[in-house]
Order: sequence, then structure tokens, then C-alpha cells
Amino acid sequence: MYRYVIQRLLQGIIVLFLVSIATFGILQAAPGNPVETMLGEGATQLTQEDYDRLLQKWGLDKPWYEQYFTWLGNFVTGDFGQSMVRAGVPVHEMVLEAAWPTIQLTSLSLAFAILVALPAGMIAAIRRYSIFDSGIMVWASAGIALPNFWVGLMLIILLALYLGWLPPSGGGDWKHYIMPVFVLAINETAVLARLMRGAMLEVLGQDYITTARAKGLREYVVIVRHAVRNALLPIVTVVGLRMAFLLSGTVVVESIFAWPGIGQLFITSVNRSDYQVVQAIVVLFTVLVIVANIVTDLTYAIIDPRIRLN
Amino acid sequence: MSGQSQNIADQGADIQARENMLAGEGHARRTEFSRSWGRFKRFKPGVVALIFIGLLSIVAIIPGVFEPYSYSETNLRERGESPTWEHPFGRDDIGRDVLSRLIRGTRVAFIVALSAMTISLAIGLTVGALSGYFGGWVDATLSRLVDTIMAFPLLVLMITLAAVIGPSLQTTVVVIGLTVWSQYARVVRADVLSVREREFVFAARAIGANDGRIIVRHVMPNVLGPIIVLASLAVGGIIILEAALSFLGLGIQRPTPSWGGMLADGRAHIRNYPHIAIVPGIMIFLTVLAFNLIGDGLRDALDPRQRES
Amino acid sequence: MSEDTTAIGRILNRFEGTNRRDFLKRSVIMGATVPTFATLLAACGGDDDDDDDDDDDGGDESDSGDPTATTQRSVPTSAVGGQPTPTEEEMTDDATATEDGGGGEEEPTATEEDSGGGDEGQQGGTLILMGHHEIASLSPDDAGPTVHWVMVTQIHNALVELDPWYVLQPTLAESFEVSEDGMTYTFNLVQGAPFHDGEEFTSADVKYTFDFYRDPENAMLTASNFNGITDVEASDDYTVVISLEGPNAAFLSRAGQAFIVPEHHHSAIGEDAYKSDPMGTGPFSVREYRAAEFTEVEAFPDHFRGAPLLDAVRERIVPEPSVRTIELETGEADSSVWALVTEDNLRLRDSGDFVTYQTSSVACNHFPMNNERPYFADREVRRALMYALDRDLIVDELWEGLAVKATGNISPALDFYYEPDVTEYPYDPDLAIETLENAGWVAGSDGVREKDGVRLEWTLAVIAGDQARRPEAEFAQESWNAIGCNVSIEDTTAASSGMRDGTHDMAIYNWTYGGGSGEPDGSNTLRSDALNNFSKYKSEQMDELLDAGLRETDPDARKEIYSEVQKLVAEDVPFIYVKYWDWFNFYNPRVKGLPDSVLSGGTLYSMAYTMWKEEE
Repeated sequence: MYRYVIQRLLQGIIVLFLVSIATFGILQAAPGNPVETMLGEGATQLTQEDYDRLLQKWGLDKPWYEQYFTWLGNFVTGDFGQSMVRAGVPVHEMVLEAAWPTIQLTSLSLAFAILVALPAGMIAAIRRYSIFDSGIMVWASAGIALPNFWVGLMLIILLALYLGWLPPSGGGDWKHYIMPVFVLAINETAVLARLMRGAMLEVLGQDYITTARAKGLREYVVIVRHAVRNALLPIVTVVGLRMAFLLSGTVVVESIFAWPGIGQLFITSVNRSDYQVVQAIVVLFTVLVIVANIVTDLTYAIIDPRIRLN
Repeated sequence: MSGQSQNIADQGADIQARENMLAGEGHARRTEFSRSWGRFKRFKPGVVALIFIGLLSIVAIIPGVFEPYSYSETNLRERGESPTWEHPFGRDDIGRDVLSRLIRGTRVAFIVALSAMTISLAIGLTVGALSGYFGGWVDATLSRLVDTIMAFPLLVLMITLAAVIGPSLQTTVVVIGLTVWSQYARVVRADVLSVREREFVFAARAIGANDGRIIVRHVMPNVLGPIIVLASLAVGGIIILEAALSFLGLGIQRPTPSWGGMLADGRAHIRNYPHIAIVPGIMIFLTVLAFNLIGDGLRDALDPRQRES
Repeated sequence: MSEDTTAIGRILNRFEGTNRRDFLKRSVIMGATVPTFATLLAACGGDDDDDDDDDDDGGDESDSGDPTATTQRSVPTSAVGGQPTPTEEEMTDDATATEDGGGGEEEPTATEEDSGGGDEGQQGGTLILMGHHEIASLSPDDAGPTVHWVMVTQIHNALVELDPWYVLQPTLAESFEVSEDGMTYTFNLVQGAPFHDGEEFTSADVKYTFDFYRDPENAMLTASNFNGITDVEASDDYTVVISLEGPNAAFLSRAGQAFIVPEHHHSAIGEDAYKSDPMGTGPFSVREYRAAEFTEVEAFPDHFRGAPLLDAVRERIVPEPSVRTIELETGEADSSVWALVTEDNLRLRDSGDFVTYQTSSVACNHFPMNNERPYFADREVRRALMYALDRDLIVDELWEGLAVKATGNISPALDFYYEPDVTEYPYDPDLAIETLENAGWVAGSDGVREKDGVRLEWTLAVIAGDQARRPEAEFAQESWNAIGCNVSIEDTTAASSGMRDGTHDMAIYNWTYGGGSGEPDGSNTLRSDALNNFSKYKSEQMDELLDAGLRETDPDARKEIYSEVQKLVAEDVPFIYVKYWDWFNFYNPRVKGLPDSVLSGGTLYSMAYTMWKEEE
């Protein structure tokens, strides 16, 4: 087991390396550079000399592989470099600063999704083909089908503008959390409800449930003791896997609600070609997802003994 | 990547040829098909969704027949006009007929969704099947590839790729197709992984069947259910992804309308001309919902184990 | 004007018995030796008092606003830094905020005594502003983007600062003299102006700031603002002498407006750290800086012009224009630094619920096009594109009349230099087609015109997410395709660099080609060798005119030269100039101390220290 984990971690590092070099290459090919963005549309006084000097200052005049190895060298020593647009600010500081709002947003959304979706999925499975089941399934399908940025705008108009119940955007007291958390949770809730229903149905079809019923156990005990516990296990692994999706979802949601998290930082940085920051965020996301993958694989193996590791 | 696809494609053709020689096979398939259809019919929302998608497909194939006006002709004097009898969904922010754009957008949505899904499923299936079936270094290598793609935040990849290649219909298809396959590969791999440990696979191997034949004849049919379900669900996801790309300004080229682009255009006017954003939003919602419901129906019909994918 | 007791009004009322128009005129007269002063008149004087300027120099009142009208920041991004509209009376609707007077404090310290209303609770409150993107830095070097500038100006002061009426007000410089030859400026600095840490501001800080930011070694973004400076000398604690290579029409408005950083702080921590830890002599000091979320500055009670009335100013980051509108409507925020969409502007203005400043932008809304592309190299093609585009329709319908059609590179609002008598291109698609036909561009089999194997086919780049200009681009696409072109639109994240390095054929954005805050010089965008000559327009005649314009100090002579420039632009059509749009700044009426009207709505944010908020 330990050997397996170490092996996976080593593989993870290779993945990380590939991802970082791929991002770097793609970003190099993208048009625009941070000197341009800092200047804004109005920098009419700049001369070619000034421009070249700025490029040189940031090493942007060097070939991309040279820039990459400079970055890699710094990265290995724990230095993520400095943002080119917010010069002077270490990248890790920016990412950490933005991480907290994102962690709040995603964990609250996930918690909300779990609290709503799991019971719903369970009940739908138990009362299969009932109106309740159809209702939950339609609702779950609807949740996946809703573009979250559209829902976000609609909610702002309804709840903030017409009803005046909630602030339209930004951070602050608990009221600011409601809309973004809900909007980010919509898709997650739907996905988890469907998964839970599916997992429950599968478990309920297993022999040991039939056996338990045959033994004359009360239905309540059968469900809670045997079915739910077994159904939850694969869900746990899936929640880990949903990490990347959730993080992607923050990009749009944070922009609509002016939520100062990683998602917004990412979009800002891509638009401004702030390579160092984009690079750092990609690496961060990659690390998160790799860890989630390893945990998932391990759990997978533990649940289903037929699958051998290595 | 393409070498592997080529390889499996050759094998597939080979097997297919042999299969066609077996006469009884087709009959058995039909019986299974009608049994599945019977199961599908029981799920009424799925049937409604199927009819809806059927109608949309007709619209997508011959949009010109249904468009009451030009989808691209502007009229700045009537910009943002609210719905009227002449323009049931009103006009957009430069005075184009929203209904006509919605209709033309149906074609775009279907083209993007179906092409991107085909690309991603082809890659995902191949990689997943090879990885799950062969295990060992093949699995290790391909799984790392899958991990790499999966670890990449999809939106980053899409945004940067679209920016580098230059946004267009083709770019959107390729970018989505090339990025979303990893999850299918993963699901297929997991399914193949458990299927290949089944008795019938051992049996087939024991009687000397080669790997290609085992994969196509024995393993694939057993994971086909989840894959079809996955595909129908993927279509919805891709339509939303396209909308998200357009929302970020990196989608379909103008003046060709796409629902995502229409929504993005309307979002600045949501206070003044709300219909511009509301209408495509509802259209995206209904279409994705319909594909998902079909997926649900298919899952009930095709996947005997009722596994959620 | 006479009842105006706001702090701004106070400055104006120093010249008792004058109305503002007179004041503007007088301040022009007083500052006279500055070569560019006439531009002020052009910028501010509005309509008819152009000729009575330059004879009475003398600069008799040392604390007067000195004239010039250029500023480095009113060019920042697309369209801020307004310009006078011809009739400034129309610029405000129900500017209720000023009716009961404002925090009209007497000179050095802020007291409540002489305000118009004398109400309790005139002080205090947090002014909440909204920007559309992250505040990446608070250093003066990065004050280009408006969203940055709005905060940087609260923290820092410059020797002279442009006020919302395009008057350069002496700020850290109490007064200054210019030598006869126009090559030496002597600034007399204010005394007793502390930085936020209590250290006093002296000439050493000015010398340090100038020397640091202009040093090529430091590769500062703003280095070019200091071009032409040969030496900065601190002759005593409160006197700075700056020597120039030659007369420089743009010196005061560019270098003069450089925000001064404290030597002891900046040199200790370095420019990079300073970006998030700035300190100045400004009315507010940094309380909390969270780049992507908000930046809040708090009142600095020892500010040399008196303690600000507000407790704090906070700029929040709200990227979506529709959400910014809603924030205003729900009263969550007081003002949006960055523009809303046209319909929202109209609705908010007409609702009567806001104090509205509507000012005209000097940045030309235009389609730059790479003149080196074979199809754009043909002047007849460029002219045909002008004929094919119904710019009146764009102004009247797309912009709901909140813009003025361009006839060249200078805004009509800049009426001293504006030259109306130029070649015009009224909307006439038939003439457009005829022009193309005559020039030999004939339709191919697919309807796209071509000549010698070159097709009229190009890509128009639109900034991704640019909700304001995207519809205009789509309209132009349709118009040009109708005369036999094949235009495709592409979203881009880098419109200006794409034009600069020649990867884009054509783009759409706003830019100044001369006229920025009244200075008609367009050397940096129209000269053949200029880095920001996005259309890659090459004309020896233009280069000669531009050089002559900068050398010339007589306003009337300059006017002649820049008329020629405008005629040449209209003749050659290096880019498709469309319009100069109106810029809107809304304030929630609970913000008090606002002036009746301004000429530059964006610049008003630098007067935040004279505002206060009425808490409900």
C-alpha cells in the first residue's frame, strides 16, 4: 500500500511537470503580454525603447524555454515568482489571499449540496417510480441543465433588485454568501442526487439486502444499516473527483458575484497574460486534483477487492 | 494517440466483418433492442424529451425553413424591442429577430454538441478500453495521460486554447472534444476493469480469442450501456460548456448565433431588454434537460445494473 | 455658481465676484507663460472666449490655477477624462447634492463652520465606489487604468493636479515660474505638508520621485512622462528647479502631474513593495488593500489641505456592468468608476434618483486598421468603408444620442482646435460601391471584391467581453459585408498589442489621436514611427505637421497646424473614426459636497476629500 502511494505520488509529480510545461507553452503562444495590459488603452506616451526595456525587465524578450526553466528553477526552490501585473507581490501571496474566499465558497456549496442531495437521492431510490422519484429526478436533471451564470443573473435581478432581500454581489456578512453558494451548488446538488439514487438502487438490488429482508429485519433497519452505508462509500470517492468541476465552476460564479476568489483571479490573470499567476493557479489545481485522484483510487480499491493495485 | 485509434479501428473493422457472417446475431440484437425500447417507453419524461429533441433536430437540419426573418440582419432603430406578434421573442440589442437567431442557434448547438461528443467519446472509449483491458504499463501510461488532462482545469485549457487557436465553430468543437474525454476514459476504464475479471472473459480467453475480439465482442457490449448513457448526458454538458465559453467571449464567431453567445450578449442588457438573455437561457435549459432525460431513460433501458454514470 | 460653497467652489470663490467661466479665463491669463495654456481655454472655455488669452501673462496671483489642460491620466483607458460638452449647463440633471452647500471648509483645516446648511453630521461616511477589474497596484507608476487611478489619487498628490474643470491646480507646488526660454521651471513647494507617517514633504521627495521614475534603469511604465527633463535640482527645502532640453508643450501636464512618493519610505522598501504599501501626502491613507475584492483608504486628519470630511473611501471590484447598475440602484454602492451600458446610463440619468455628470470623452471611438495590409493600403478602400458605415445611426440609435459623430482625430468638444471644415463621409453605400469600383475592386464569384488577387477580406478584433463596443462591431461587419467585403469578427484579449505587432487586421476601441485633455498633439499615435500608431499610417506630411505643432508655442499658430492635421486625417482616413462618446458618472444623492457641474466626470473622484455622506 505504501509503495503504491509513493509510486502514485511520483507519478503525480510527473503529471505536474507535464501540466506546467503544457500551460507554459500554451500561454506563450497566446497573444498579449502584461506590459500591454498594465499600460491600458491610454498609454500613448510610450516609446519603442521604453517598451523594449519593460519586456527586458520581465524577461519577456527571452525564448520561452529559457523563461520556463527560470520559472521551474524558482518553483523547485519554493519560489512561485512575482506577479507581473501586480509587480512586487509574490504569487503565492496572491493565490493564498484568493484561496480563502474560494475555499469558503466551495466548501459551503459542497456542504449544501450534500445535505440536500443525499437524502433526496436516497428517498428517490427507495420510492422508485413514485411521483417523488420522478420529481426528484426531473429536478436533478433540471439542476444539471441550468447554466449557472444565467441563474446567477436571474437571482440577482429577482432577489436583489426586485425583492431587495439580498445584496447583489461582493463579500461581507452572511447575506452575501447565500446567492453565490446556492448558484455554485445547483449543479453539484443535482449530480450528487443522481449519483446517490443510482448507488442506492444498485445496493438495494444486491443479494445481501434481499438476505437481510428475508431474515425479517424491519425495512428501516435494512435501509439505514445496510443500504445507505454501502451506498455512501462510492459517493465519498465521487465527491473527491468532483473537485476539479467545482473549481471550474467558481470561475464564472465568482465573476458574476464579484467574489474575490481564485476563479476571478484566474480569469483576470488569463486576460492580462499574467503568466506567473496563471501558472501558479494551474499548479495548485493540478495538485488538488492529483491528490483527490489518489485518494479516490485508494478508496476504490478498498471498496472493490476485485481491483488490484499496481 | 491517433496511432492507437487507428489500431483499434482496424481491429474493429476486422471483427465487424466476422460478425456479419454470423446470421443469428442480428435477430438476437433486435429482440434485445425492442426489450430495451419497452423499458425506455415506461419513462414518460424521456419519451417527451425524445420527441422534443426530434423536433429540434428537424429545426437544426433545415433551419432556413423555420426562420421568419434573417438571423443576421440588424435594425438599430428597433433594438431591444420587446416580444410582439411579429417578433414573438422580440429583437436583440442590435435589432435582430431573436426567434430567427434561436432557430439558427439550434443548428450550431447540435453541430457543436454532436461533433464534440463524438470526438471526446472516440478518444475516451479508446483510451479507457485499452487502459482498463490491458492494465500494466499501458494502463499506467494512459492513466497518467488521463490524470494529466483531468488535472488540467478544463476552463483554463479551453480559454487558453481558444485564445491561441482563435475562436470559431471548429475551435469550439475541437477544444471541447479534446478536453472532456478524460472523464469518459475513466468511467470506461473502471467498467472494463471489473468486466475483464468476469467469467465470460476468462472463458473467451481460454478458448483462444484474441484481445481485439474480446474487447469488441465481450467487454464492450457490457460497458455499452453506461457509455450510451454517458454520451446522452455528455451532450447536455457540452451545450453548457459552449455557452460558458461564449459567456467568456471565446465561443462561436459572429454573426453566426449560438445560444451561449446570445445569452452572453444579452447579459449586459438584462435590466433593460431581459428577453434577450432569458429566451436563450430557457432554450439551453430545455435542450440540456431533454438530453439528460433521454439519458435517464436510456440508462433504465440499457444498463441492467442500474449504475449511475 | 455664487452659492457654491463646496470645497471646489471655495477654490473658485477665492476670486470673489467671478463666475466660473471668468475664473477659467482668468486662470488662463494668469499662468500665461506656459506654452500650452491656450489648450486649457480650448478644453474648458467652452465656446466663445478663445481669443483674449495670451497677452496678459504676468501670473499675478501666485495661488491661481495654472493653465494647461493635459494630463497623463485622462487618457487612461478608453474613455475617461471627459471633455467639455458645448453647453455645460446641460451636463447635470438635478444635481441636488449641492443645494445645501457642502463641506466648505476654510483653508487649511476642515471645519464645519461655513457650510451652506450648517447641519449636524456633515462629516463622515464611507464613500463606496465600484471598479470593473482588480486594483493591481497602488503605485503612481501603475495609475494608468482608471480603476487604479481613483485610489492612487486619494493617497498621493502631485505638484500640480488637474481639477474636474481641466484647470491645473497648484497642489504640492504653491506656485511656479517658467524661464523666458521655457526651459527651466522653478516650483515653490507648500510647507507643512506631512506624509501619512508624519514626515514632512520637502523638495528632496520631488527630486527623488522624478529621478526614480525617469531613470531608464528602473524601467518604469511612466518613464516617458518625464521625457525631455535634463536635471532636477532641489535648491532648498521648498524649491525645486527642473531643467528641460527645450520648450516642451507637454511638460506640466505630464511630469507636473506625477504623484510624489516619500523618499524615506519608497527608497527603503523599493518600488515593488511600494505597489501594495504606498504612502503619500494625500487626504486618505491605506487602511485595507485587497486587490481583487476592495481597497479602502481612511481619512488622514493632517492632510495639508485640511482633514477630509469622509471617514473613508472604498473601491469595490464588480466586473459585471449589469451588476454594477443594480448595486447603484439598490444603494449598495455610491458611484461606479467604470461605465455602465448605454441604456442603463439613460435610465439612471432620467430616473432622477442620482446626481449625474455627463461629460464628453476625448478618446476617439474608432476602428484602427493596419494600413500595411494590401487592401487597407488603398486609400479608396478606406474611404469606401467610411461611406458604407452609417455613423449617424450608430450615434443616434446604438448610443441613444449619447455621443457625437467624429469628423477627424480631434473631438468637436475641443472647440478651440476642432476643425469642422474637412472632407466628410456621409453615409452613402452606393457611393461606397462606386468608390470601390472606380478603384478597381470588383466582385468575384462569391460576391467578395478583389483586385490583383487581393480580396477585401479581413478580421475585426473585439476585446473579449466588451459589451459596449461588440454591437457596434457587428453592425460594421454587416455594413461592410453589404458592399462586397468579407469581415469576420474575432474576440481577442489583446486588441492593442495585436494592432501594435501587426497580428490583427482591424480592431475596435477608443484612443486619443491628440486632444487628450486639450493638448492637440498626436505625435505618439499619428507619427510614422510612433509605437502606438496602430494603423501603421505613414505620412511625411503628417510627421512634419506634428513636429511643427510641438515646437510652436503660439496658440493661434498651433491652431493652424492642427487644423491641417485634422484635414489630413480626414483626407487619408488612416482609421475609421466613428464618434466621441459621453461619459457618465452617477452618485447616490446621499453623497454631499458635489459640484453643480464638471467638465471631466472621472477627475471628480480626486475631489473625494471634499465630499461627505449623509447617513440614513
